[in-house]
Amino acid sequence: MTDNEGQFDAIVVGSGITGGFAAKELTEAGLKVLMIERGRKIEHQIDYETETKAPWEMEFRGEGDTALYERDYAVQMLNRHFTEFTQNHFVNDAEQPYQKAPGKDFDWFRSYQLGGRSLTWGRQCYRWSDYDFGANKRDGVGTDWPIRYAELAPWYDRVEEFVGVSGAREGLAQLPDGHFLPPMELNVVEQAVRERIRAKYPERVLTIGRTANLTEARPEQGRAHCQYRSICARGCSYGAYFSTQSASLPAAQKTGRLTVVTDAQVHRLSYDPATRRVTAVHWIDTRTGEHKRAHSRIVFLNAGSFNSVHVLLNSRSEAMPNGLANSSGVLGTHIMDHASTLAAKAIMPGFEDRTTFGNRPTGVVIPRFKNMETLDGDGFTRGYSYQGGAMQSTWTQGKRMGGIGAEYKDKLHQVGPWSMVLVAFADSMPRAANRLTLSKKLDPRGVPQLEIAFEHGAEEHAALADAKKEAAAMLTHAGGKVIMGFDRPNHGGTAIHEMGGARMGWDPQTSVLNRWNQAHDAANLFVTDGAQMSSSACQNPSLTYLALTARACDAAVSMLKEGRI
Amino acid sequence: MSAAGQGWNRREFVGAASLLALALGVPAAAIRLTDLDAQDAPTERQRSLMTRVADLVIPRTDTPGAADVGAGDFVILALAHGLSETRAPMAAANVTAALAPFRRRNGSLRYLAWLENALDRSASGDFLRHPRERQAEILAALDEAAFAKEAPFSPWNAIKGLILTGYYTSEAGGSQELRYELVPGKWEWNIPLTPEMRAFSSDWTAVDFG
Repeated sequence: MTDNEGQFDAIVVGSGITGGFAAKELTEAGLKVLMIERGRKIEHQIDYETETKAPWEMEFRGEGDTALYERDYAVQMLNRHFTEFTQNHFVNDAEQPYQKAPGKDFDWFRSYQLGGRSLTWGRQCYRWSDYDFGANKRDGVGTDWPIRYAELAPWYDRVEEFVGVSGAREGLAQLPDGHFLPPMELNVVEQAVRERIRAKYPERVLTIGRTANLTEARPEQGRAHCQYRSICARGCSYGAYFSTQSASLPAAQKTGRLTVVTDAQVHRLSYDPATRRVTAVHWIDTRTGEHKRAHSRIVFLNAGSFNSVHVLLNSRSEAMPNGLANSSGVLGTHIMDHASTLAAKAIMPGFEDRTTFGNRPTGVVIPRFKNMETLDGDGFTRGYSYQGGAMQSTWTQGKRMGGIGAEYKDKLHQVGPWSMVLVAFADSMPRAANRLTLSKKLDPRGVPQLEIAFEHGAEEHAALADAKKEAAAMLTHAGGKVIMGFDRPNHGGTAIHEMGGARMGWDPQTSVLNRWNQAHDAANLFVTDGAQMSSSACQNPSLTYLALTARACDAAVSMLKEGRI
Repeated sequence: MSAAGQGWNRREFVGAASLLALALGVPAAAIRLTDLDAQDAPTERQRSLMTRVADLVIPRTDTPGAADVGAGDFVILALAHGLSETRAPMAAANVTAALAPFRRRNGSLRYLAWLENALDRSASGDFLRHPRERQAEILAALDEAAFAKEAPFSPWNAIKGLILTGYYTSEAGGSQELRYELVPGKWEWNIPLTPEMRAFSSDWTAVDFG
């Protein structure tokens, strides 16, 4: 693929949540698209090898081989969603190394494969509000977002209609309603907690997690409704959750205008300073080591937040010695990841005669209630929200219980007591010191590794301290007995919401992308994955990445048609 | 299988595992002790001991017990591969005089050797030669001490946890003793819980956070 002039209108780098969607939008607009994925091909339904396996069919019963993990998956094994059932959907850390700045931790959870992390994501879908898009301007940290909610709302509509998001309308300014499929029900304990919290705190709402799992079948997309297994990350042959494989890839393929290359690690873009355009995308065939390249009129970078920044940093040239699209010098800076921790766990008495059937693939959410109309946070200016839910325990509670013999065994087959957890996610402040750089160390294919320097700051600590206090107060008021709670953030990266590094902004001097996700420095280059983010909000970001992707695709196609790029 | 009291050779080892697998309808590779490094391979006595201990924790009732499903062998496999952090170097504060002799060069603990020694010491001799009732008393005492409030570190907690894993993730433990439903197909948010209803081994959130 070295002499393909004229063959492709667009190249999309990455096939995850935003890359797959960009490929769909651009092909449906009539463009011929090459989508390049660094990992292996995974075919919907056919390649979900562990999907229907029972624990007794797995050598390590689903827990996995710790000795293997310590050797090859030393970072990925720290992810709660990484198990023997899902290990084939995460990277081998030994083959995909990265560096952490001295004294700083960052657990980078990655999925290099066709579909990327769309196969393993948490599926939570939340709109942002103007509390979020206005956050940087309001407290002066970070650069002002060049858009506001009203501009993005129609794109959220478009994305939700395609993705399929189930949820309940609540009419909240801080968490705007969307186009929802019917919500999954709160369980009996969560319903009671919702009512009890509302009685004492009228402005606080516990609602069902808005999730990209279909509660109604979509025959036109070949997708069935959710089967309530809650084993999504193994891959879902029902196509019941949104992934590249279940939804965007088939749509793009249907146009007949999509070409997909896998096992291709894009490491560099070339740039022509005379035309101020990207001229080629370069990759390494990871099976043969062969270097290849392709050309197109426009390039969409959707390699997965830090990986998109990585490609730009590694595309330094005489014209752009600090990295492509980095005349501002801010490329790689202001990276973020939500500060999160288990704010409270409580035993919930009073529901001993009630239970549930099925595994609901979403929890509950309590949207932000601090720093809204007034800045009432103690030591923090932004928001936090909770995700969690109520559940009953099963046999694993026996690991904490004394006893042996028949009586002990009989106790363990009973449905265990109800408990409820609230996990806090706090805004991550955009700071220049939290940044990505190129390491001198090379990966096994000879590409400089990415070095991550990240730490949470005083604001995040203050927000989580408040979240712990409020979570305990709410669950106690709701009749719970709080048994634990934390206020120290987990390592950076563990929210798996890493973002920023190629932020959008008004000013080419202080941002990488303009309000259309177009590089200030290269008119035919668009970045629409998490790298684009100028602030983090406190809700899950993927839906916003998708809305920005849809909007940028539309803008790029218009610019192309009008001959502006 | 070999006659009682005879040692197991490698071929019988594989053969027995296959028979067990056949009986339970799981793939023959499910518990593969033959791949273990020499220093991790259990002695014949350790295998018998682990099987008995597993069975004392989860005996056969109206459903199969831990010995019926090979949970003892699972524990041995799990310990060799470091599940539940059993191959991590011990925290310095946990290294007592009683545990020190069982440490490997890297500071991790030889759980199986410790258990064998602890039970034999409590039994003032060969634990396995005692009648089952006496074995249960000895193990119950060890368990009680390990799970008491403010109890110091005991390797027993991890071993017991792995016995539970071995049992409740087996076909009989997961789908007879408990309920297993791979495809529930629906979500019911509030139904009556009656005493005869058993917990789900397929409630993955509960397994994780229970």
